[in-house]
Amino acid sequence: MKSLLVIAVTLPLIAQQPVAPTPAAPTPAAPTPAAPAPASAPATSDEWFSGYIDLGYRWQTGVGGSLDTYRSFVDLGSGPKLVGADFTITDPKHRLFDELGVRAFGWGDDPNESLHIDVKKSKLYDFNADYRDIAYFNYLPSYADPLLSTTGVALNEQSFDTRRHLASFNLDLLPGNWLVPYVSYDRDSGSGTGETTFVNDANEFAVPNTMSDRTSLFRGGVRIELKRFHATLEEGGTKFRNSQDVYQTSGSTNLGNATNTFLGQTIDLTGLAASYGINGSSNYTKGLFTANATSWLDLYGQFLFSQPSTNVYYNQLATGNLVLESQLLFYSSQQFVLSAASQSPHTSGSFGAEIRPLRNVRIIQSWLTDRMHENGNANSNETLGNLYGATQMAAMLASSLVTNYNQEEIDVFFDPTSKLMLHGGYRYVWGNANDAVLPVAGLASADQGSLSRNVGIAGITFHPSQKLLVSGNVEAASSSGAYFRTSLYNYQKWRAQARYQVNPSLSLAADFALLNNQNPLPGVKYDYLASQESLSLLWAPKGGKNWNFQGSYSRSTVYSDISYLDPEFLTPEQSLYRDNAHTASALFTANLPHYDGLTPTISAGGSLFISSGSRPTSYYQPFAKLVVPVHRNLAWFSEWSYYGYGEAFYLYEGFRTHLVMTGLRFSR
Amino acid sequence: MRLVAPTPALFLLALGATAQTAPVPAPTLPPGYVGSEGCQACHQELYDAFQKTPHNAPAADKKYGFTGLACESCHGPAQKHVDSPSADTIRNPAKLAAPAADKVCLTCHLNQHTQVGRLESSHMKDQVSCTSCHKVHANGGHDLVVRKASAINAQCTSCHLNVWAQFQRPSHHKLPEGAMSCVDCHNPHGSIRPAMLQSFAGTEPGCFTCHGDKRGPFTFEHAAVKFEGCGSCHEPHGSANPRMLIRQEVRFVCLECHANFPNPPATNSALGVVPPAFHDLNSPRFQNCTVCHQKVHGSYVDRNLLR
Repeated sequence: MKSLLVIAVTLPLIAQQPVAPTPAAPTPAAPTPAAPAPASAPATSDEWFSGYIDLGYRWQTGVGGSLDTYRSFVDLGSGPKLVGADFTITDPKHRLFDELGVRAFGWGDDPNESLHIDVKKSKLYDFNADYRDIAYFNYLPSYADPLLSTTGVALNEQSFDTRRHLASFNLDLLPGNWLVPYVSYDRDSGSGTGETTFVNDANEFAVPNTMSDRTSLFRGGVRIELKRFHATLEEGGTKFRNSQDVYQTSGSTNLGNATNTFLGQTIDLTGLAASYGINGSSNYTKGLFTANATSWLDLYGQFLFSQPSTNVYYNQLATGNLVLESQLLFYSSQQFVLSAASQSPHTSGSFGAEIRPLRNVRIIQSWLTDRMHENGNANSNETLGNLYGATQMAAMLASSLVTNYNQEEIDVFFDPTSKLMLHGGYRYVWGNANDAVLPVAGLASADQGSLSRNVGIAGITFHPSQKLLVSGNVEAASSSGAYFRTSLYNYQKWRAQARYQVNPSLSLAADFALLNNQNPLPGVKYDYLASQESLSLLWAPKGGKNWNFQGSYSRSTVYSDISYLDPEFLTPEQSLYRDNAHTASALFTANLPHYDGLTPTISAGGSLFISSGSRPTSYYQPFAKLVVPVHRNLAWFSEWSYYGYGEAFYLYEGFRTHLVMTGLRFSR
Repeated sequence: MRLVAPTPALFLLALGATAQTAPVPAPTLPPGYVGSEGCQACHQELYDAFQKTPHNAPAADKKYGFTGLACESCHGPAQKHVDSPSADTIRNPAKLAAPAADKVCLTCHLNQHTQVGRLESSHMKDQVSCTSCHKVHANGGHDLVVRKASAINAQCTSCHLNVWAQFQRPSHHKLPEGAMSCVDCHNPHGSIRPAMLQSFAGTEPGCFTCHGDKRGPFTFEHAAVKFEGCGSCHEPHGSANPRMLIRQEVRFVCLECHANFPNPPATNSALGVVPPAFHDLNSPRFQNCTVCHQKVHGSYVDRNLLR
């Protein structure tokens, strides 16, 4: 894939020819709200190549504070980079293709590398490929207590350093025709190393592991698109493989997390080799249709069915001084072998209609269902050995997980005038679920729950002129059953938005959202309130000819209060979560004095996040960028950025670093 | 791009020039229509750009009944506009109310696979018209909607300001970095899944497109993952809490459901309330449940999600 990228990038570079100038546009480090949406490599003329390629070099000044946290959040490093490329090649003679588009970003050992290629030939084919290589790293401390490491307990017992590779290829044949066959292949894979825990009854041991998984998705189908109706029929399947090895080399002694002995004995681990071998597959069927039955009636429907299944083989060999608490049996070696299988038939469907009895009235009726009936079984054999012999244990378990979800909704849209639209609706949600592992053991039993919720819906959109748009909607629900204590129960959701074009150079936008969820049932008493308010502005005097400014500010609050019983003593405790956050982002761009028809630009901005409450946090990401055109097709750019992260309660997690990048943009 | 309203004199000059250079026999047009060439006389630049867009297809495709009427397939009969050139005498879908604008687009696009989730779309219900995202002329010979991840994100967040603010938090999916876009997870046209989420392999949440190792089916499932999705424990847009969790420490995420209250079925909010063991939560060793219950997304091996 990397060689494909090199070819795609170098080919147009080699073939560049001098042409009319194209101003080099500054690229904001991050998209900012209210920004005008830039087009993807716009073809402004009949040139065979248009777009840009950015090559550069980045220096990282070093990380102050926690490198692990920096790598978990940012992970940008030093070195040469293909910062970005976004170009289109057109073939005026329309031989193999009409147009070939390439977008690539972040190549050169960066954490988020992506490549996208579109190739199309009118009425013959439309092909696109997407590839992403993502560094998936997380080494944030598992424990809340930073002093724990002083007792010999490792802080990071759920960490990983992996890379994920995502590839997707889609080919549509005869696009625009009434019959469009298509095929597609997707692959998602990941591999790497990490740290996990081997759990024994009286102790748990941090141990290294290796991980590898891959999922391949094959699908193909046909779309039939006629004037009065459309139907899509698709068949697909997946192949899945997942393996994990957990180990500890023989000869070393792992004392684990327990600081106390068990019945006077130290529980330790002297060797471990455990491996998971999981294979899975699934077939699925998809059927979609839309129909324009009459001038006043449109119909919509979907039917989806899949049946994923997995087969598991697990083998574990452990040595040390270990214990089976239920029998107070100490042993020095353990062999555990398990084979398991599960399958999950899953059916979803929806059907709906849009009815227009009057010119300014629309009625939408829809019904939706989602049903998953999963079952699994596992057979295991365990051999525990000690000086007195071996103890054998076998177990057979059966699991079941069932959910039946249904939803019916009717909405009425009424437009009293062309500037005012009203919306009212009602939704009923109902279902049932159960979760069981048999035979029942310990306190865990077969759980079941039901879902029943009535929801009222109202909305309004007011658009008195092209300059002003105001909209709002609200959902209010009352439930008599929900699956979980923290599920939506009796809730109100509010949302309001406004956009106002003050004058041609200044526009404002506001966004408000609120969710209030209460579950008053005895034993639950859940109280949740979250709200967010945002404002943004775009100010570009004289159409942004000299400068423009984009800025946004958001405030959000979360309050959550729910009680629970302490597991050991069953005393009432409270889980109280508060978050009060301020977020701001800005981008200022100015054109500097021009020369020879070339205009340098400077931009500065970034974002900040400051929160207080249950986890006070600050996160700053300022940046500045200078772009200096040196030729009609060539510009030099230089960029500085800073990342600073701080935690009030977990000071050891903080980090700060400067990044400097400089490079060249080739454009046409 | 706005339609330019020419003066009558310019229009007549252009019309005359066109007539001199390319005399063509007058096609049979429905009453009130002038044909695309009639529009070209004044809107040459738009006309040229339009030839390269997929929207020129109706002009050649008999299926839609707009042969030779590419411009008027959206803008309606233009005879009145030709007679009296003014923005008021021609239909501009970008300035119509959302239902009216959508009606124009759906004349051709209703019967396409992209629209199958339309009734579940909050964009449709909130009167967000097709032209809010799709620029019918603006991208010339390219696609009619932005495709680059950072451009998609900028477009979505111009309305969803609150959501973009969440992505500025330290733990987030990599949208600000341009590595992902909103449409990787959400289908803006609507979906059978909640929050217009994309689907994977037919019936499953789009999360598994990238997180295939969390898909299962597991021998021993964690019911919350299957019934209410990843959002039960994670805030996918961004969080100040590690691993995008909804609470500052893992134990609270767990204990809010696994709350140990007896006789749960009576409450109808029952699943998972009974604890699997008696742990001393005053000991830091037990404060992070996922150190031992590490297979929290589901386990192939252990009913208590320990391995």
